[in-house]
Amino acid sequence: MIEICNLFKAYGRQSLFRGLHLTIEKGSVTAMIGPSGSGKSTLLRCMNGLETFQGGCISVDGQKLYGINERAYHKKQKSLAVKNIRRKMGMVFQQFNLFPHMTVLHNITAAPVSVLGIDPSEAESDALSLLRKIHLGEKAQKYPGQLSGGEQQRVAIARALAMRPEAMLFDEPTSSLDPEMVEEVLLVVRGLVLEGMTTVIATHEMGFARDVSTQVVFLEKGEIVEQGSPKEIFFNPKNDRTKAFLSRFMK
Amino acid sequence: MRRFHDWLIFMAMQHNPFNIRSIVVLLVCLLVLYFSQINAFASRDTLEKIKNSGVITWGFDAEGGAPYVYHDPAHPSKLIGFEVELVEAIARELGVKVQYFQNAWDSVLLSLLRGDFDIALNGIEITPERTQSVLFTRPYYVYAEQIVVRASDNRINHLEDLHGKKVGVLYNTVAKRMLEEMGDVVVSVYSGQVEPFKDLSLNRIDAVFVDLPIAAYYTLPNPQLRMVGNPVGEGYYGIALRKEDSALAEELNKIIEKLLRTGELKKIYRRWGLWNLSQEKLFLHEGLLQKYTESLPSFSEKAPIAVTRFLPTLLKGTVVTIGISLLSMILAVVLGLILAIMRLYGNAWMQKISEAYVEIYRGTPLLIQLYILYYGLPNVGISLSAFAAAILGLGMNYAAYEAEIYRAGIQAVPRGQTEAALSLGMSGYMTLRRIILPQALHITIPPMTNDFIALFKDSSLVSVIAITELTKSYSMLAAASMDFFKLGIITALLYFGMSYPLSLYARRLEKRLRSYDRNL
Ligand SMILES: Nc1ncnc2c1ncn2[C@@H]1O[C@H](COP(=O)(O)OP(=O)(O)OP(=O)(O)O)[C@@H](O)[C@H]1O
Ligand SMILES: [Mg+2]
Repeated sequence: MIEICNLFKAYGRQSLFRGLHLTIEKGSVTAMIGPSGSGKSTLLRCMNGLETFQGGCISVDGQKLYGINERAYHKKQKSLAVKNIRRKMGMVFQQFNLFPHMTVLHNITAAPVSVLGIDPSEAESDALSLLRKIHLGEKAQKYPGQLSGGEQQRVAIARALAMRPEAMLFDEPTSSLDPEMVEEVLLVVRGLVLEGMTTVIATHEMGFARDVSTQVVFLEKGEIVEQGSPKEIFFNPKNDRTKAFLSRFMK
Repeated sequence: MRRFHDWLIFMAMQHNPFNIRSIVVLLVCLLVLYFSQINAFASRDTLEKIKNSGVITWGFDAEGGAPYVYHDPAHPSKLIGFEVELVEAIARELGVKVQYFQNAWDSVLLSLLRGDFDIALNGIEITPERTQSVLFTRPYYVYAEQIVVRASDNRINHLEDLHGKKVGVLYNTVAKRMLEEMGDVVVSVYSGQVEPFKDLSLNRIDAVFVDLPIAAYYTLPNPQLRMVGNPVGEGYYGIALRKEDSALAEELNKIIEKLLRTGELKKIYRRWGLWNLSQEKLFLHEGLLQKYTESLPSFSEKAPIAVTRFLPTLLKGTVVTIGISLLSMILAVVLGLILAIMRLYGNAWMQKISEAYVEIYRGTPLLIQLYILYYGLPNVGISLSAFAAAILGLGMNYAAYEAEIYRAGIQAVPRGQTEAALSLGMSGYMTLRRIILPQALHITIPPMTNDFIALFKDSSLVSVIAITELTKSYSMLAAASMDFFKLGIITALLYFGMSYPLSLYARRLEKRLRSYDRNL
């Protein structure tokens, strides 16, 4: 479903990706692991058009984003592709990024109503059933500031799901949560995976990555060092750098 | 004593005037000032002081202009004018030197009473109201009011022709009062004397009605303008002194008489093209002056003036102030927002334009911007009405400040908010309108409130382009009645009545907008 070809990305003179390739199948669950600063967030943000890149191509169901240095780059075409790609993929951030001036319900309905043009009352009943699914039905009229971190992140997931995406990108969804709230969020993600949602998740939760993913990608310094099934990566890593990283983590 | 006053004024200004406690402090300071002023009125003998020190201090306003006292265009550091020559002649007779004391014309008599200088001599007309508070010498010049029109305009030939016309006058002059008594003349009041002639040339007004010396000075060299009809409403300029300085008055009267008899006065006036037959009246004895003074129409009874008589004028000024402030606020908000968005989201040269706009408008005085808009633009063919120029001037100036406030407010919204909105498929515009601006708004309300309260007060600057708003109404009434205190308190209260509700409203709005914050 997602095809990344020969991706080049640099921040100023500091280059990060130097010809990265990655394929993500429909219905797969891809876990991205790697040390801090390895480029997990950047890769996810490139996929969603939140970040531009210098070279290569990212293709989502035939919608193509090109590097800004490519000849094929065309402003109008690009903004259309970005729009379509964002409709196909929802994104959940480490910092939740709920809109603090809107109620929980409004957070969820705002985009479906104004972007997709869904009837407000229909959007509201959709939102309420989403909220009930994540056991937050009674918080609909609360403001994000009145919710715990775990609750906020679950609302953020519901907000992305309300756009009825075909794939979900998670950027370390539990990294800024207190330990006791991590599980309630992972439970929601697990539920999505079981429903067959195409999922890409950058995470430091190795146990979770091992249990739910169909493919694990180990990134270091902007480079895919090793990739394969969770069994291969976690129980039989081939590369020394992967071994070193995992041994540090599995302690 | 002076030190103490300065300290009081300083204390009064140190306080942010927009909470009740500061208002009380301010009022107390003003009261103390008021009562201490009474003692401050110089009680020693001024004539003796002048002779002992060898210096006579002369209060005047060079901004008032030619041909009285003004800066020589060829040597701008030098003051010239027929009154300069007159005062120098008087000083020579007294055997002393002249010390110049520049003072705004509106408050020249007030400063005289405060003891800032010994004599006030600056085209000050002898009027019954003024003789109540100061002592006048015998007149040194007989003036009359002169009508000036455009050379091409044949409609106006006499005073009566001014009915229904728009006429420029200087404020607190006999000419202004004469027109007001005619009832249906649209009077446009100016504080500088260049401006009415400019507006006359620009077709903004139909005629100018001013003291003859001024009319002659500006009309004779300008072929576009001409004087029509005979001078009307003769009156006298006198030297104003403090009431108790009768000894000085006597001495000055003798000197004026001497200058008249020796023909020196005539020589000075001739040099300035000001001598005419009317000036022969200067030779008449004082009894005639007495009769003249009494015959003048008096709008102030001997009884203390009731405040209610001033209220209509002050309220009219208040309405103008509110109108100008509100409209320029709206302009400032809209333009400021556009500038902020250009700066943050525009392409390279939109950013440059916005940046340059802010720097230029913040870095130059509002007063000069107003002058350029109103008197400068006609040079390139754009002639704005005074009201439009006032709103544009204030609005465009404040837009620069608002732009910076909005920019800071928008930047204070975390980047993640934009990313979340974009990832949900919202367009850039929708993100700005639905997500960013609502959150930026509550951050910007306190500084915006500050600015708008400042704007209420800054709106008084537009009086330089012939708009009579509240401060102008106040200074005109106060200069006429010499009641700076009571009127000042009333005017201050009127301003407070405008800005305090704004503060209250802003506070409530801010609270409401932040209601989502758990901490409140
Ligand atoms: N806006 C930026 N400007 C410059 N450099 C950046 C920027 N954003 C990220 N980087 C750099 O790019 C590299 C990859 O960052 P990224 O946030 O993608 O890492 P990550 O794998 O998500 O790390 P973490 O686990 O800490 O979230 C880092 O070295 C970072 O310093
Ligand atoms: Mg990251």
